[in-house]
Order: sequence, then structure tokens, then C-alpha cells
Amino acid sequence: MDFELIIGFAGLVFLAMVPYIFAGLGTMLAGQTGLFIVAQEGIMLTGASIGFLGAYWTDNLFVGVLTAIVAGGLFGLAFAFFTTTLNMNQFVTGLALFFVGLALSTLIFKLAIGVTLTPPLVPTLDKLPIPLLSQIPVVGDILFNQNIFVYLSLLLSGALYYFLYRTSYGLELRSIGENPKAADSLGINVKRGRYFAAIGGAMLISMAGVFLPLVYTGTFTEGITQGRGWLAIALTFFGGWRPHTIFIGALFFAAVDVFALRAQVFGGGIPHQFLLTMPYIATLLIMVFGSRWVRVPTFLGQNYDREKRSV
Amino acid sequence: MPKDIVLEMQNVSKRFGSVIALDDVNLSIQKGEVHGLLGGNGAGKTTLMNVLYGLYQSDAGQVRLGGEPISVHSPKDAINSGIGMVHQRFLQINRFTVTENIVLGTDLQNWPRLNLDTAKEKINELGERFGLPVDPDAILSDLPMGVRQRVEILKALYRGVQVLVLDEPTTNLTPQEVDALFESLRVMVDDGLSVIFITHKLREVLEVCDRITVLRHGKNVLTMEREDASEEAFVTAMVGSDLDVESSIIFSSEQLEKTIGDVGQDTILEVADLTVGEGELVGVKSCSLTLHAGEILGVAGVSGNGQLELIEGILGLRPVHGSVLMQGTDVSTLETHEILKNSVAYVPEDRWQDGFLPTANVAQNLILGLHRQAPYSDGRLLQRHTILDRSNQLIEEFNIKTPGAQDTAGNLSGGNIQRVMLARAFSLPVDLLLIHNPTRGLDIPSMEFVYKKILERKQEGMATLLISENLDELFLLSNRIMVLCNGEQMGELQRGSYDKYAVGRMMSGVRQSE
Repeated sequence: MDFELIIGFAGLVFLAMVPYIFAGLGTMLAGQTGLFIVAQEGIMLTGASIGFLGAYWTDNLFVGVLTAIVAGGLFGLAFAFFTTTLNMNQFVTGLALFFVGLALSTLIFKLAIGVTLTPPLVPTLDKLPIPLLSQIPVVGDILFNQNIFVYLSLLLSGALYYFLYRTSYGLELRSIGENPKAADSLGINVKRGRYFAAIGGAMLISMAGVFLPLVYTGTFTEGITQGRGWLAIALTFFGGWRPHTIFIGALFFAAVDVFALRAQVFGGGIPHQFLLTMPYIATLLIMVFGSRWVRVPTFLGQNYDREKRSV
Repeated sequence: MPKDIVLEMQNVSKRFGSVIALDDVNLSIQKGEVHGLLGGNGAGKTTLMNVLYGLYQSDAGQVRLGGEPISVHSPKDAINSGIGMVHQRFLQINRFTVTENIVLGTDLQNWPRLNLDTAKEKINELGERFGLPVDPDAILSDLPMGVRQRVEILKALYRGVQVLVLDEPTTNLTPQEVDALFESLRVMVDDGLSVIFITHKLREVLEVCDRITVLRHGKNVLTMEREDASEEAFVTAMVGSDLDVESSIIFSSEQLEKTIGDVGQDTILEVADLTVGEGELVGVKSCSLTLHAGEILGVAGVSGNGQLELIEGILGLRPVHGSVLMQGTDVSTLETHEILKNSVAYVPEDRWQDGFLPTANVAQNLILGLHRQAPYSDGRLLQRHTILDRSNQLIEEFNIKTPGAQDTAGNLSGGNIQRVMLARAFSLPVDLLLIHNPTRGLDIPSMEFVYKKILERKQEGMATLLISENLDELFLLSNRIMVLCNGEQMGELQRGSYDKYAVGRMMSGVRQSE
């Protein structure tokens, strides 16, 4: 394998990492307040479908991203409403929203575009080399000659880390996921925190979805996410529910992703189906052996009802 | 000279569904006093305070602070009005540091990054002033209960409260820690704060409070100055006509001493060098004990120091090293259901979790665990008529308040659930009783009932391992008391030489000097 190929591989890994980071960060953000979203696949699909249409009709990728964010926010709002206000089971709600998203993505696309011989296309997002930095040999090519989504995902990891661990708002938000009753007793608004995190989280997840048509394919196809939404849940556990480690996890998942794709093209003896199971196996191993690393929020998946009397 | 009234709660009522938790309750708190709120379980003490703190909304009534009516809809309102509360189960975040727990929800400097230095200084200063030292950087889960409670109190003081509510603050504290807490409370009221001290322990109230209000069944019974009232007056107020105080074993002890002193010769249980758990998860280390017929061995210790592991190790619920001899036979390798066949009964600490099926009916709960044995089973099928007849007998004998044996068990109150537990334990002949915190959450008449039933069987020769966090209970019933700390035996005291400070030292890990 020559040098060029390795640089190319590394560059692709950073690109493939983007949806994992967005979806993982979104899952993590909601999780830090104790909300366990499992509708990632559905939210991403809807984000991809609606975001693509937004971009297609306006000829503007930025508008596409915005529409996806709005769609994701609505999913987050629905999730927060059902679980926080109506106190419904989070897992069941998440599964229901997954199916809604799955169906909605295809339905809206079919209604808007109909059945066509040639797929509707938008020009995929170009690379945006950063002046000077992209001139650095090797590193410049891998890190600074990417499209804007890559930079954004890196910035976002840092920003979320700062927000959650270096501000009092982050402290309050995390306290909701660790012990909502304690947070409530100190005057922290548990419902508001959960609504905020669910909406913000779902927006990020939806952005992970819209990345796929706008950067990879240039069009929306059914099931375009290919299970990345489910992988995002595994990734969040793998990444120990913290922004900086989710970044590392996303790199690993993306590497496996790219490698599996390459192995499919070039052969190499290893069945690519086997490679595709690697992230799941790695997650299981992390869960078994890395219990100190994985700091699942204590109240993850549990609703909070103030007047419920504990017996 | 009447002092200023700081806080008044007037005609407060609250119902949960069809249950009336508070019925027209009044409470007034003076500036600079420790006000005891006394009552048995279910008397409404905690509900009243949750209303004050905005965790529950009252159905009627009002709260006045400094003469002005205030409306408290959330804990935030309460805190802003100057009311702080330390809950019985600490509302803390185990993974956060002491400082993070204390400052949570207050205004903080955020730019360029969260700055907690001034907060730490303030915490240290408050700790010094009120005798509540803490390490601001320690992680909560690493701290012992006594320190965690200081953190809870500091949390309120940090917010500059005028009225501090302490809900059952002495649970899980050693006697030394209780004394330190009482001293801090004195400093606080001398400083002008008012403290509401919720408890069901009469002796504590008499020790620390200036005035005392007694609640029963969600109603006011009386409010009195400490000096004006005798112990009996408060007991009568607390229990009402439900209990004849004169003949109660809790309050009169001559007859009791005779009953307790009477111990048989036969060895029922012999545990030698018992270790429960492995590696980092060792719960009990090399524990040895002997229990004779008719003997009650008390086990003291702060909750979570190996009590549960000891009892579950003996019962075969956890893997053990060492030997457990029951009437001469080693049972340490047997399955739990085989051990239970040897006339062994277990009343677990956590009734809801470990001993009870809320959706099953009362009769089913009464035979749970014995359902494989005669007469309840013929080896293949359950004997329905025998079970119902026997259940009705037990309901009568143990005075379980239920519409019938076939009613859903989850409808029972806490005291009645414990009666079901006891009825089950005593429904077949018992040689050995393992009982854990038998009266936690029970009111005084129910406690009395539990004690009487245990003593009845003891006189028939039953050996009892009584594990409890309530020292009064252990002192009352035990022939001997052994103390556990971190799963190790710290020492043993004989009846007659009980001393709560000696037990307290051992509970905090100081070995008994020979």
C-alpha cells in the first residue's frame, strides 16, 4: 500500500466520521439529561429526505441543512412531550418515532418528487480547503482539505465539551441526568432541561442524516442511512457518553466503515460483512471491560415525576 | 417573652387520591429555635414539609413567611424565600464533587470557564463557622454518611436560608455524629436561623428541640415547649389510643429483662470464618458467630457495611467461603430452598424488593417460599383450600388489615405488609429467624407488635439474628450485640454493658479494645 493511498484513506475516514459524530453527540446531549433516544435511524432518514428536498427546491445546500434541523427539532419536541409531559416510556416512544421517521422519509419524498427515471440531484458539497493550514504536508491534506461539515463536527465536539463540563449550564444539565430529584430540589427546571436537550439532540441527529445526500450521494434514496442511526447508539456507549471520547469512537467506527467498503472493492480475503460487525463487537467489549470508562448517566431512560410517591 | 414568628403554615390540607395525608394542619416556627416535628410513620410529617418546600402542592391552606403570605410552587420558590430542606434520602449527585453539589443551581461565574474558587472559599468558611468541615473537592460517593449530611446542610446554608428543614437527619449516623450534628444545630439557631427537625425518635426531640409539634394521622395533636411536657405526654400524643403505653414493652422494661435473659443451651447456628463475595466485592470478611436456642444476637452497623451480605451468605443467596452449621449440619453448599426447609425463616430488609409480590393476593404472599412444602403443596399441586384456611387464620392472628385473603396484596399499608412478612415467617415452626431492619418505616404500635411476636417465639426457643440500624431496637431486644464495619467484626457487647458511644466507635471502624 503506498503513501498516497493511506492519506486518501485517512481523509475518507474523517469524512465518514461526520454523521457518526453528529448523531453520537445528539444522542449524548439528550442522554446527559436522562433521555434515551432510540429513534436516531428514523430522525436521520427524515432529516435526509426533507433536507434534501429543501436543498433541491431552493438550489441552496444551506437551506437544506436548515430544513433538516427544523425537522429534527420537531422530532425532539415530540419525544420530549411524550416522555416528559405525558410520562410515556422512553424506549417505546423512541421506537414509535423511529417508525414514523422511516415511513415519513419515503412518503414525503414520493409525494414531492414522484417516481422518476433519473433521480433528482443536487450538486454535492465541495471541499473547503483552509488557507495555509491545508498546505501542511500530510496533516493538511487529511484534516484541512475537507468540506465544511468536517470542520463543523470537530468544532461542535469541542463546543459541547466546553458547554457541558466548563459552564454552570452544563453542570445543571448533567445533574438532571444524574439525579433529577436532586436537581429539582435545587430549583433546576427538569422539564425545561429535558426539552432543551431533546430538541437540541434531535437537531444534531437530523444533521447527521442530511449530510448523507448533500455530501455523499447528491440524492435521497430509501434507507440511505444504512443503519448508521442504530450504530450511533452503540457509538454513544462506546464513547462513554462524553463528547471528546465520542469523537474518538466516531473515528474508529468511520475507519471500520471505510475499510469495509475498501475490502468490498479490493477483496482481501475478509468478508466485508464481518468487518461491518466490528463496531458492534467493539461496543460490547467496551461495555464488558470498560465499565469505568463508560459513564452512563445514572437516570438514563427514566422519567421523572415530582409528585410520585416512592414506597 | 414571645419570640418573632418566622414561618407559619395555616390550615394546610393535602390528599393523594383517596388518602388524606394532611388534614387542616397548622405549624408556626419562631426565630432562633429548633422546632421538633414528631410523629409516627404516615403521620404526615414529610408530606407537610414537602408542601412547604414546593415539592407537593397543597389542596388548601397557606404559608406565611415573616407575616407575608408566600406561594411556593417549586423548590426554587422555597429557596428564594429562604427555606432550605435536607431530605431523609439525600438528594445528591454521587459523581459530582462536594462543591459542585453545593453550588448547583446557583448563579456562577461562567466566563472564561466555570469558576468555583470563590464558592470553595465560602464553603470552607461556612464549614468552620458552623462546625461542618468538608473537603470541597471530594467526590460525593467516596464520603461516609455523616459527611454527606454535612454537605446537605451546607447546601442550604450556602443559599442563605432562614428556615432549615431536616427530615429524619439522624438515620444512618453513629451516635458521635448525631452529637456533632446537634452541636452544629445549636450554633445555627444562636446565629438566628430556625430549624425544623422531623423525626419519629422521641429521645432526639427531647434532647435538641426547644418546642415540639406532634402530628398523628395527618392532624395536629399538640404543640408544646420542651420544658412543659413529659416524655409520656408526647408518647401518648404520638400513638393516641392505638397503644397502651403503660404495658408497652418499648416503654416499660422490667418484664422484658426477664424474658430476654432466658437463653437455652442448644447451638442453632454456628458460622465460622465466613467470607462473602470475592475480590473487590467482598462484603463480609472472616465472620464468626454462634447463636443458641432462645437467643437474640443483634448486629449493629451503618447501612451497607456487610449486613445484607452476611444474611444472604448464611441463606445461600451469595457464594461464600467458610462454614455455616445449622444444628450441626453444614449448609454452606446447599441451595437456598433447601436451607429454608430446615425451619429457617427470613424477613428481608427491603420488603418491596425482596419479600413481597404486590400484584399477587394476600394468601399467595403468605405462603411465598413455603409453597413447595406440606401442607401447602402435596408435591405436585398447591392445596388451595388448605392455603386459604391457613391464610385466614394468619390474617386473624397477626391482625392484618385486608378485605380478604384473595385481595391484592399491593393494597396493604407498610405496617400490614410487615405483618404479612412476619406471619409468613412464623406460619410454620421456626428454629432460626434472620430478620433485617424489622421495624423500619413502622409506627410505634406496629413496632410493638413486631417485638412481641419475636419475643413470643424466642420464649419457645427460636434463635434470632437481628440486624438493625436502629440502636434503640438492638439495645431493647438483643442478648448480645456485634458490630460490623466494612464487612469486618469490630467487637461484641453483652447485655448490661451496652453503651451507644462504644457501639458508635465500632460502627465508624474503631476496633473494640480488649
